[in-house]
Amino acid sequence: MAWTWFHRLGSPPFVYRLATRLTPWFAWPAAILIVAALYGGLVLAPPDYQQGQGFRIIYVHAPSAWMSLMVYVTMAAASAVGLIWRMKVAHAVAASCAPVGASFTLAALTTGMLWGRPMWGTYWEWDPRLTSELVLLFLYLGYLGLRASFDDVQRADRVSAVLAVVGVVNVPIIHYSVVWWNSLHQAPSVMKLGTPTIATAMLVPLLLMLAGFTLFFGAILMLRLRAEVLRRERGTNWIREALSS
Amino acid sequence: MSEFLRMGGYARYLWPSYAITFIVVVLNVIWARRLLARARADALRRLAAQGGES
Amino acid sequence: MNVSALELAPAGEAMSALGAARLVLARDLRLAFRKPEQVVQPLAFFAIVTTLFPLAITPELSRLREIAPGVLWVAALLASLLALEFLFRDDAHDGTLEQYALSGQSLTWLLFAKTTAHWILTGVPLALIAPLAGAALGAPSQTLPLIILPIAVGSLALSLIGAIGAALTLGVKRGGVLLSVLTLPLAVPTLIFGARATELAIRGMSFAAPLELLGAIAVLGLTLAPVAAATAVRISLE
Repeated sequence: MAWTWFHRLGSPPFVYRLATRLTPWFAWPAAILIVAALYGGLVLAPPDYQQGQGFRIIYVHAPSAWMSLMVYVTMAAASAVGLIWRMKVAHAVAASCAPVGASFTLAALTTGMLWGRPMWGTYWEWDPRLTSELVLLFLYLGYLGLRASFDDVQRADRVSAVLAVVGVVNVPIIHYSVVWWNSLHQAPSVMKLGTPTIATAMLVPLLLMLAGFTLFFGAILMLRLRAEVLRRERGTNWIREALSS
Repeated sequence: MSEFLRMGGYARYLWPSYAITFIVVVLNVIWARRLLARARADALRRLAAQGGES
Repeated sequence: MNVSALELAPAGEAMSALGAARLVLARDLRLAFRKPEQVVQPLAFFAIVTTLFPLAITPELSRLREIAPGVLWVAALLASLLALEFLFRDDAHDGTLEQYALSGQSLTWLLFAKTTAHWILTGVPLALIAPLAGAALGAPSQTLPLIILPIAVGSLALSLIGAIGAALTLGVKRGGVLLSVLTLPLAVPTLIFGARATELAIRGMSFAAPLELLGAIAVLGLTLAPVAAATAVRISLE
């Protein structure tokens, strides 16, 4: 049963139609969750006893960082599927992920810097998380650069897929090594909240935001995947039907 | 209200952070939708050019 | 070398993967003698880069000593990147790489051999002259020989990681910059642990912990990098 689904996912027309139907199911819940989380985070949550109102930056910084990692893992998983089972659609998914992931890595970095300025006194500290995010940005840029340097779509797909898989193995290693390095140089990690335990009123908006952003990624992925599939399948017959409906 | 906007003095870091994230979100939406619209237009144009084939 | 040399041992039996790998290793080492610039250039680059830092920052040995580990490692990393361009270039040009892929021998093992040859030709010499650079940067003389070990292990890791990047950028014109962009993020852990090990060594303290982590990365690289590189090479040759 699961296998037939898997095979169907390999068919571009099926995926195109599925993605079209799924888009609103991602988009609307995402919007609702994000708005609710905004209200909860900016209005309902009490100020932090150490960072005051400043901690509220977490409601945009943490989801951005989460996105940057989640999208990369998705990209790597799709790449692996594409390499192992030679699925064009999987490669299309990977290609759709990269720009989204890179943009959120930038958001995570800038919001991290803006959070750091009042907390550390400088815009940049070689905090382990910020440093790993920076390296992650380089990984994304390398991926995009590699894809761009091949004219042949198939080769671009497969070469960048290898890079994505190798990179994902490296992400935890990079993070661990930077944490280790940072602990030697004893920079304070001020991304933690000051309360001994995180109050529910603070935690719930964060979880809602994370869920909302994840669904948002789903919606964007559906849109981009449809565009990718259309581009790659130009000239085939099923497109005529799909676009007229 | 102005207390809310002031955010205990952190306004200069907090609101730009929210603005940047909001901009990234909106740009992603615009970019993705534009890509899809262009891909559709391209595909339709090609089909029209192919005429009554197949 | 023609393909059949890889498939038949001298006595005529079928060649094992290890035997083929040994042949490739020997060939690469032999060829390097005919093109010594491929070995000398990275070393010269390393020497020049290490010289730039005292010129740009300070000639005071006491202050240089503090940044010496970092400088040595950044210079070694950049020199390795330079040397990586030589890893596949000639073989890709004259079709030898294609022969390897078609030979029926395990491409993974053959690339493992090439990468090992590359390390012997670039990483090991780098490790051996690093103490000189270290001395120039103020490292105390009794600790100089200890500098060799972290750089030797780290450069092996770099050769392996770099082989992946080199394989990925095989088909790309002027892929040198892209190769660096791809390899550097992957090389960050090696840089961090290697510099730490070198720093502890220069200070006369035990550098076992970061050295072991460096070794772990090298071992991980040994198992995964040739596979990844072989996959990338096959894709590039398709």
